[in-house]
Amino acid sequence: MRNGVIMHWLAATLKSSIGRKSVMAGSGLLLAIFLFAHLAGNAMAFFGRATFDAYAARLHATGPLIPVFETALALVVLIHIYFGLGLFFENLAARPSRYEVVANSGGQTFASMTMPYTGLLILVFIFHHLAGFYLADSSTVSDLVRQNLSRPVTAAYYIFSLLALTLHTSHGFWSMTQTLGLSHPKYDLLIERLALAASIVIGTVFILIPVLVLFRPGFLS
Amino acid sequence: MKINLTLKIRRQSSPDEKGQFRTYPSGPISTDISFLEMLDILNERLTREGEEPVAFDHDCREGICGTCGAVVNGIPHGPAKKTTLCQLHMRHFREGDTLVIEPFRARAFKLEKDLVVDRSAFDRIIREGGYVSVNTGSAPEANTIPVPQNIAEQAMNGAECIGCGACVAACPNASAMLFVGAKISQLALLPQGGPERSRRALAMVRKMDELGFGNCGNERECEAACPKGISIRNIARMNREFLRAAICSDEE
Amino acid sequence: MKLDAKIPGGPLAEKWDNHRFASKLVSPANRRKYEIIVVGSGLAGASAAATLAEQGYRIKNFCLQDTPRRSHSIAAQGGINAAKNYRNDGDSIFRLFHDTIKGGDFRAREANVYRLAQISNRIIDQAVAQGVPFARDYGGGLANRSFGGAQVSRTFYARGQTGQQLLLGAYGALMRQVKMGKVEVFPRREMLELVTIGGEARGIVTRNLLTGELENHAAHAVVLATGGYGNVYCLSTNAMSSNVSAIWRAHKKGAGFANPSFVQIHPTCIPVHGEHQSKLTLMSESLRNDGRVWVPKTPGDKRPPNQIPEAERDYYLERKYPAFANLVPRDVASRNAKEQCDLGKGVTETGLAVYLDFAAAIERDGAEAIRKKYGNLFEMYERITGRDPMREPMTIYPAVHYTMGGLWVDYDLMTTLPGLYALGEANFSDHGANRLGASALMQGLADGYFILPATIGNYLAGTSSEPVDPGREEFKQAERAAAERTARLLTIKGKRTVDDFHRELGRIMWDHCGIARNCEGLEKAQTLIPALREEFWHNLVVPGRGPDLNQSLERAGRVADFLEFAELIVEDALAREESCGCHLREECRTEEHEARRDDEHFSHVAVWEHRQNERPRLNLEHLSFEQVAPGRRSYK
Repeated sequence: MRNGVIMHWLAATLKSSIGRKSVMAGSGLLLAIFLFAHLAGNAMAFFGRATFDAYAARLHATGPLIPVFETALALVVLIHIYFGLGLFFENLAARPSRYEVVANSGGQTFASMTMPYTGLLILVFIFHHLAGFYLADSSTVSDLVRQNLSRPVTAAYYIFSLLALTLHTSHGFWSMTQTLGLSHPKYDLLIERLALAASIVIGTVFILIPVLVLFRPGFLS
Repeated sequence: MKINLTLKIRRQSSPDEKGQFRTYPSGPISTDISFLEMLDILNERLTREGEEPVAFDHDCREGICGTCGAVVNGIPHGPAKKTTLCQLHMRHFREGDTLVIEPFRARAFKLEKDLVVDRSAFDRIIREGGYVSVNTGSAPEANTIPVPQNIAEQAMNGAECIGCGACVAACPNASAMLFVGAKISQLALLPQGGPERSRRALAMVRKMDELGFGNCGNERECEAACPKGISIRNIARMNREFLRAAICSDEE
Repeated sequence: MKLDAKIPGGPLAEKWDNHRFASKLVSPANRRKYEIIVVGSGLAGASAAATLAEQGYRIKNFCLQDTPRRSHSIAAQGGINAAKNYRNDGDSIFRLFHDTIKGGDFRAREANVYRLAQISNRIIDQAVAQGVPFARDYGGGLANRSFGGAQVSRTFYARGQTGQQLLLGAYGALMRQVKMGKVEVFPRREMLELVTIGGEARGIVTRNLLTGELENHAAHAVVLATGGYGNVYCLSTNAMSSNVSAIWRAHKKGAGFANPSFVQIHPTCIPVHGEHQSKLTLMSESLRNDGRVWVPKTPGDKRPPNQIPEAERDYYLERKYPAFANLVPRDVASRNAKEQCDLGKGVTETGLAVYLDFAAAIERDGAEAIRKKYGNLFEMYERITGRDPMREPMTIYPAVHYTMGGLWVDYDLMTTLPGLYALGEANFSDHGANRLGASALMQGLADGYFILPATIGNYLAGTSSEPVDPGREEFKQAERAAAERTARLLTIKGKRTVDDFHRELGRIMWDHCGIARNCEGLEKAQTLIPALREEFWHNLVVPGRGPDLNQSLERAGRVADFLEFAELIVEDALAREESCGCHLREECRTEEHEARRDDEHFSHVAVWEHRQNERPRLNLEHLSFEQVAPGRRSYK
């Protein structure tokens, strides 16, 4: 009985618009945390090949934690996508007849408008990115990165996808705070600025790697 | 000053028929008149020419009743900020402009005729708890509970909503969250709304979902189109109220 | 027509209590057997429907709009009066009563007005409990402002949207009862006929404005809360759909119509700009708290206001009425504006406007303080006119605003037709010949929340609770009459549009029965109106079909009723050979050009009785004043 009640409210909440949006925000938050961890790892590359490879080796040494973490991460990504798609199609259905003239009333931004599409680009990129690692012959991480990104087409694709990630997070980070109800007259502007800054940091640091591989011959070698 | 405009208006004679755009020259229009007065003039002419006039909802014509509203060149209530269609004056347009005039569109707003839509979904949401349950005569003396001035002001910021539906019309997802957020905020902020706070948030959101409105994408179009300038802060507060009620309260 | 106001005995302050005790009750278990129709969902209608439902009656509520939340009460800006005396500035129930009686120029019933003042405080309590976000002081208590016609600060407000907030409170109460299944709301319905059975009101015929379908609704009592008839003047501050039809139909079925000529012209409206203007926008009277009204001293002075030096300005209200100055009651302010314009001192291109200047207030309190107080009103003004009142004075001119006249009702708010009640602006009860600012909201809510729910038992307790059959011959007859009238409007197929006729009627009324009236003009109107009506029924064009959403047809029906009703206003204005309140007969003025009231001959309510194919008959309800001696109203 007790259990039934709990499941009932949980199911009802997860079915509701705000509930599902909160799941989007919550999973987005976890993904953002992962992005920053990833970012910190990538930043090791700036300290040279030795540091970068040592970091990778340390990471691999954690052993069984890795598959646990990977599964959890994959699950969060799946949840983010599943709920995102659900909301996307529901939103389409909420306005069956489109307007003759589509205009911006003054709130929309390019980033907010393209969220489902940048999301899709990021998903495709994730597959490509993972394939690049899992399917590669074993060598040090520095070699792997150099090998992959020294091909201008791959590097360009990386940069393009990371721009999509920047765009996605530039709306997503702030949107997350709004959905979770983090709003206060005193801090709203700060939250908005911080969210934007965070997405710019993510974009800059990630993009710096393919750029350095391409344009600084000695990088990671 | 007089200007001439081309009016491209979506006509539809009944809910089930197919609509189509009709183009009418406005004739010379004084820039001092309001948008609806321009439609009045057009309708007078159509009537004399034996064509059925354009049906559009309107009433107070001073921007408070929330009856009027159409999408002008893609923007609900037209290009002027914080202005209802009835308060939009023709001085915002230039000689030779083409105005595409369409009804508010959303699955939850059934089209009745021409520019007239059915917004009774809003009533159905309010019915679920957009009030304080207090019988006439049972109220305590008005000054019994002090309400901090800034709280009263914030509540008023939400309460100003005129229920016109422009937020839904402007939202890329046809979401009603600004409307619902405004009412939930007003009553959540005031001590008088306290006892029903959780119940209200859950019930109103549930009804809103049921009626087929879309979901908020935090795109801020509603806030930009709102003739009363109601802030999306109210949506954040609604989210908070809903989550608090769903997770922390014993209401179902 | 028998007029029994049923004023209870006892001292003034105890009448209402005595009456409530003496009133009959319907037992709670039996209430659900009674159905009550409430037409209108404004402050009076929504509050009555909600409260009666709370008591257990079954309610059907009708409104023209797509939802009850849009009724024109929503447009009231300034505030609502109550005798709370929170400011400790000498206010009391007796003072509010006194001010209202005096403001109404001694043409209202003492007992009714005293009751209104008594109830005023509980309205504020109720609204606050409903979550109406009234303005507050820093301490958290309710704030007040002063208003025209009063020397105390007793007006409660929510920015410039008090009517909206109070209406949304009442609408919330109504929606709560809808949720509970006690009220059924019928939006987009227009009442076309009142149905009487055996001389008692038992139902209505409505037109579904979406489908054009006629519907019969039966009940044990019918409550009309359908607002005022200011739109008979075409241009007014009323909403476009405000009309006289419901009360006019009731009048033609036997309900007496009281004081139709008592029409309030509001002094602070945005002036007319052109032929195609559809409505006039009111700027809240609260602006007169800080704004100074003036015109140039020299007639025809066309310089921009900022170039007219202080010495060449005439602050005529401050000059003529030093005690009340810019805060004189509405009628006095309106009349003086017209007088200045008649002298050629009017400003703007049309010469039909005076200045309302905030420069002194801005200098005294700072731009920020003034903007905070009137920000939304200033924005509204700028939106409409394209000019900023912080930089140049506003231009204002009087416009038709409120109608004190309406269906005659007794102390129970019942009309001369048993079972038919009239509430709010639709009745004549409390404002006499002139309504004070911030009193309309008070009256509408007093009627709906507190008075009708306490008095309707007097009628219902003596009425069988057997359901009324809407299939009866009386309903069919009324429905046929409504159908015929609608069909007739559609078959004229003439040349002139409804709006064209409405504009012409408005011009006749404004010119001959407006701010100031005289015998000659009124008699002229008496020939012009029937002629216009004649033309209307022969040369009107209504496009479209009957069974459809047809807004031209809706308006045609309303204008047809205005064309009949206009004559009654003129008849009443002609019969009242005195100046009182808003009714200024030019023949009846003092040497100083002020209004001259004639208590000896006109201390009465003029109640008109409809007669088929005959001129209406005038019945009088004499007014006696025991508590307030009718003095000459002086605001000097």
